[in-house]
Amino acid sequence: MRVLLVEDEIRLAENVAQALRDGPGFAVDHAEDGQAGLSLAENLCYDLIILDLMLPNLDGQTVLRRLRERGDGTAVLILTARSERSSIIQLLNYGADDYVSKPFDLGELIARAKALIRRGKGTASPALRLGDLELHTGDHSVFRAGTPILLSPMEYRILEYMMHRPRAVISKRELLEHMYDFNWAHHSNVIEAHVSNLRRKLGEGTNPPTIENLRNRGYRLVLESTTSREVGNEPA
Amino acid sequence: MKTYSLTRRLIIAMLLVELCSLMALIGIASVYEGVSHFRALDVALRGRADSLLGAVQDSEDPEDNVMLSGVEGLAPRRDIYIVRDDRGRVIGAQGWPNGEHELISGDTREFRNLTVGGIRYRVIRRLGLRIVDPGDAKGGVARHVIILYGSRTHPVWERVRNAMAFYALSGLLLLVVTGFVLLHLLRRGLQPLYELAEQAGEISINSWNLGPSSQARYVRELEPLVSAIESALLRLEQSFAQQRQFVGDAAHELKTSVAVMKSSLQLLTMRTRSAKEYEEGLERVRVDSERMEELVAKMLTLARLEDDSEQLESNRIVELGDVLRDVAEHFQTMANFRRISLVVKADNPALVLCDPDQLRLLFSNLIDNAIQHSGVGKSVRVTISKRGEMAELIVEDEGEGIPEDVLPYVFDRFYRGDPSRSRRTGGTGLGLAISKAIVLRYHGAIRLESRLGRGTKAIVALPLIESRTERLEHWSAITPEKR
Repeated sequence: MRVLLVEDEIRLAENVAQALRDGPGFAVDHAEDGQAGLSLAENLCYDLIILDLMLPNLDGQTVLRRLRERGDGTAVLILTARSERSSIIQLLNYGADDYVSKPFDLGELIARAKALIRRGKGTASPALRLGDLELHTGDHSVFRAGTPILLSPMEYRILEYMMHRPRAVISKRELLEHMYDFNWAHHSNVIEAHVSNLRRKLGEGTNPPTIENLRNRGYRLVLESTTSREVGNEPA
Repeated sequence: MKTYSLTRRLIIAMLLVELCSLMALIGIASVYEGVSHFRALDVALRGRADSLLGAVQDSEDPEDNVMLSGVEGLAPRRDIYIVRDDRGRVIGAQGWPNGEHELISGDTREFRNLTVGGIRYRVIRRLGLRIVDPGDAKGGVARHVIILYGSRTHPVWERVRNAMAFYALSGLLLLVVTGFVLLHLLRRGLQPLYELAEQAGEISINSWNLGPSSQARYVRELEPLVSAIESALLRLEQSFAQQRQFVGDAAHELKTSVAVMKSSLQLLTMRTRSAKEYEEGLERVRVDSERMEELVAKMLTLARLEDDSEQLESNRIVELGDVLRDVAEHFQTMANFRRISLVVKADNPALVLCDPDQLRLLFSNLIDNAIQHSGVGKSVRVTISKRGEMAELIVEDEGEGIPEDVLPYVFDRFYRGDPSRSRRTGGTGLGLAISKAIVLRYHGAIRLESRLGRGTKAIVALPLIESRTERLEHWSAITPEKR
């Protein structure tokens, strides 16, 4: 999952970004002012935008309004130092999904971020299930028919992302965009290596669900092994 | 001071004035009444004396004397009179006292007052002529008679008194009526004032105006009050809004600072870390807390500077150049570190009356700003010169300058010209606000001039000490060992 953090207080942004990377293992991009945040959000590669209100150049409320005006439906979590009810009501009415007031609890911020992402993907439960595959977003554990599977953080993140959208074709580019922030070099072969490791760990081919490699189109998580038929009909 | 009612005062004053004029009226009226009644009495006396004269008859005796006859019912019983002929013989009298002689002799006034047995009379003296036997060849004998006729004055006074009592009673009645009418009129007339008071009572933090319908606005006497209240409210509202803005901004800054510290600590405890990581984390927390400390200190400084009641007792005569050189020395290390040349030029002593600590703070804020905004290898020039009555301090950097649209806001609290950058350099956004507060405290002026890409000039003007002798003394006391 990839999060855009728009916050002008550098130290706070560092801490939040660090916590989001360390905890749920999100990729985090940081923008220091509203204008930068708005243009970064244009990439539409974020699963969540964490937005401070008092920002230079363009304040958070305007950023939020512009986002919603141009039809961006990315979940937005507001960081605010103002706790007046009216401003919170106004923000929620402008299209914010949630807010935390400063000084906030990092654990709470992470939990809310995860909940928003979950909701954004259309899931309510913190545990994702697909066939006999089980993924717990809380402690990053993955089980196959009750047996735990040990995954590296990146493998876990790829699996989590794919489990939110089973049967959908996910391009390498999309995976790259959602797994890495801007500070990383984007190399598609890194993703390839992670996906092939992940497939191996899940038990390649033999026991669905497994990850299918679609040439030139990407990957998808499939439930049945009889996949070759569907390849052509699958909407990307 | 005791409270009092304006209405009551006005009514009492009006009634007193009315009472006074009533008294004056009664006084004048009584004089008039008295005079006219006495004149009427005099006319009546004259008439009665004349009719008495008519009663003087020939007595048909050899001496051709006269006599008084047929006087029954001629004079009211209470009146007194005496009639004499020219030889002094009394020919008729009624109720006339015995010691009457002196009255006749000498005194020839027509009217006089006489007290008989404690009763006051007004007496008329009438000379009469009676021709006895006018058909005579000699033309008759002329007989002169003197009539003294008196009437009691008591009834006249009685009538005057009655008239007075009537006037007084009706006057008092009028007084009472006008009192009530006045009360009513005043209440009605003061209605706009009551309304204004009511509207003023409704002023609160949430509604800062009197309401457009205020009737008082159209009252010439109240209009100045209304506009005074309104302009006071406007000023209050502005300063309140400013204060609220400051509190909001301060809260934001403090909450953000706390959020930084809290998140730094929580980040450390999120999972077990190595000792080195903990050390680094704690170091970051220390830096964060120092920043917060600085923020709080600056906010307090600003609050103290803007508190006018804080006394100026620590003010001394300060030579700007001395303080500047002192401050510049402190910044030299920092400037050297950034390879910025800090040039100070303050040749002419400029004496200013102020608190040296605050002056030091002002200089260091400005120099710090200039150094922060200067690139490596650039220079910061600080000069002190005299311009008329003012000492002028110019801090000039060769930084990137401040955009024109931002320039008006640089002295606002918590304003950051380039927020991300100044946050990174640890600015609190209060430095220039503090500088301005210091300069304003000493009745000076501060402004920024900036050209994008060329640099910024901070220009401070502080009033020089005016007394020439003082300056000369200081000159002789300081310059020899300084130079």
